[in-house]
Amino acid sequence: MDVEIIFKIAGIGILTAVIGQILKNSGKDDISTLATLAGVVIVLFMVIGMISELFTTIKSMFNFASVLPFI
Amino acid sequence: MDALYKIISIAIITCIACLIVKPVRTDFAIFISIVGGIIILFYTMSYLSNVFDIFNNIFKISGINSSLYAVIFKIIGIGYLTEFTASICNDTGNSSLGDKVLLGGKIIILVMALPIITSILEIVMELLPK
Repeated sequence: MDVEIIFKIAGIGILTAVIGQILKNSGKDDISTLATLAGVVIVLFMVIGMISELFTTIKSMFNFASVLPFI
Repeated sequence: MDALYKIISIAIITCIACLIVKPVRTDFAIFISIVGGIIILFYTMSYLSNVFDIFNNIFKISGINSSLYAVIFKIIGIGYLTEFTASICNDTGNSSLGDKVLLGGKIIILVMALPIITSILEIVMELLPK
């Protein structure tokens, strides 16, 4: 839980861009869109995992457990 | 103080990573800023938790029923989350959405603060001479 996650995401971003460019130049346009899409999906899962972790920590700390009737 | 340096360094590193990735992949820049925000939030939360322990002791000593203080903690949590989401919305460019999130947070906080207001009124009514 530190800076390396930021570098990991940045690396994935640059990698997908490079791979997309290579595939596009070598004529395989549809595969390059799939590759960029896959990169975005992977990073999305990582970010969503961190957000859910954030929500569970906040819920445990601010003892949201006692759910109000409408929240 | 070292936590402050850590927070500052993470913020600067995230900004630079965002700038590097922005021309190449604009959507990844938003992911990076979100993740940086989450990491900084985790640091601040570790400090907030021992503040809460101290508050709990104070409330136990003061003896006023703890349901009011649970609401206060929840309000702090709501403010925490709405501020986080609103700043992400402003980052991505649609600041109107961020304002709506803030508005929703304020309304929920108001609704949760009502029991506190009523209990304060009851206390004041008791103090007034009949």
